[in-house]
Amino acid sequence: MIAVEARNLTKKFKTKTAVNKLNLTVHEGELFALLGVNGAGKTTTLRMLSCLSVPTEGEAFINGHSCRSESAAVKSEIGISPQDTAVAENLTVRENLEFIAKVYGFSPSRIKARTKEMIALFNMEEVQKTRAKTLSGGWKRKLSIAMALISEPRVLFLDEPTLGLDVLARRELWKAIEGLKGKVTIILTTHYMEEAEQLSDRIGIMINGRMAALGTRTELEQLSGQTGLENAFVAIAERNGAANE
Amino acid sequence: MNKITAFTYRNITEMLRDPLSYIFCIGFPLVMLVIMTLVNESIPEQAGMTIFQMKNLSGGIAVFGQTFVMLFTALTVTKDRSGAFLVRMYATPMTSLDFCMGYILPMIVISLVQGLVTYAVSFILSLFTSTISPVGLLISIISLIPSSVLFIAFGLLFGTLFNEKSAPGLCSIIISLGSFLGCIWFDAEAAGGVMETICKSLPFIYCTKTARAAIALDFSFDSFWLPLLIITICAAVLTTISSLVFRMKMKADLA
Repeated sequence: MIAVEARNLTKKFKTKTAVNKLNLTVHEGELFALLGVNGAGKTTTLRMLSCLSVPTEGEAFINGHSCRSESAAVKSEIGISPQDTAVAENLTVRENLEFIAKVYGFSPSRIKARTKEMIALFNMEEVQKTRAKTLSGGWKRKLSIAMALISEPRVLFLDEPTLGLDVLARRELWKAIEGLKGKVTIILTTHYMEEAEQLSDRIGIMINGRMAALGTRTELEQLSGQTGLENAFVAIAERNGAANE
Repeated sequence: MNKITAFTYRNITEMLRDPLSYIFCIGFPLVMLVIMTLVNESIPEQAGMTIFQMKNLSGGIAVFGQTFVMLFTALTVTKDRSGAFLVRMYATPMTSLDFCMGYILPMIVISLVQGLVTYAVSFILSLFTSTISPVGLLISIISLIPSSVLFIAFGLLFGTLFNEKSAPGLCSIIISLGSFLGCIWFDAEAAGGVMETICKSLPFIYCTKTARAAIALDFSFDSFWLPLLIITICAAVLTTISSLVFRMKMKADLA
């Protein structure tokens, strides 16, 4: 079943085209990585898919619901963890989770159960009573993802989930994301090759707002004639004029 | 309703855990109350200056405190807007009305608590100076709700339109205008002339008049009901405007 579909998705900001006629299909349970350099259009794509930005042209669908005309239905099926840490700083980890569950109208018993599940899933027992503002970057990112997951979304958007984290915190977060594979459809943006390689089922390489290449790591290697994702990425990027930008 | 309750709870908890809210919303108005009471003690009776007498001062300070709730509202909104928190919330089923109600309701609660504390201290101080009616104080707290909504709506408007740096500056202007032209520190009717006209053409004086009339148990139309009606209308209009502006801004953010 198709979970996410984009048809000629385009976003223009005055004279700049951030995303240009993007076509994409992500299947249910798949972990799809959008790989690209800064300014490639990854975050703009994610914003359009999560109803945070209206496409200039084209259309996007989440589980068959249009992002343009059925935003309420789309919003009830998605979770998003933005690039910057988006948590209520003066609330504790537990309170942040309960807050989001309440926003989605969960019953008190379901709020309790889901909060417990999220705390266990991300191993946050030791920090559950800690206020978010005193958490380290790694814990904050975990909390941010847990907040996106607590509403039981069918599609999860992770925008640069490990940006700015040290290697240990990054590995820890990878483990948590890998644990979600198959249970929820995930689209994550990253510019770390290792991250895309380690986590994703398929990778889309975005260059200057266009989907320059799309496939598994092996397919991208074959397409570029290079070995290793980084070499494949560089070859595809150069071929698509990224070096000239 | 769940969404509004959840967002209200989040905002009120965040504020209660911020020490600045105690300093600005309760500490500073109380300091002013004590200082002005001491000033009043130094004014000779022959001067005929009644503005700092407890029956007038307590209502004025209660309104003065509300101007700081406006500042806090603006700071809360700008802080949420400057980070990614609102982006996350925009992706939830929350509507602009849920956001506005979630910002306004906790501030009304804070404002009521602030009024209670101010009047409790006023009552204690009045035992040493001129006695004021506790019944009048209680009625005054309730009659302060429209003026608190007015100032909160100003805060929501500034917080929506401006950033973390400029919103507090604009709030300071309203704090100064509100306290001066709201006749907290001087009697415009006694001054007369242009000053009286300016004060009466702005909503602030009616906040103070309502609070003072309730404390004095003067419920005549001119002293209590008319100013209360003016404030209620102004609060309703400004709340509608600020909510519409928030909605437009949210739409623009999602464009």
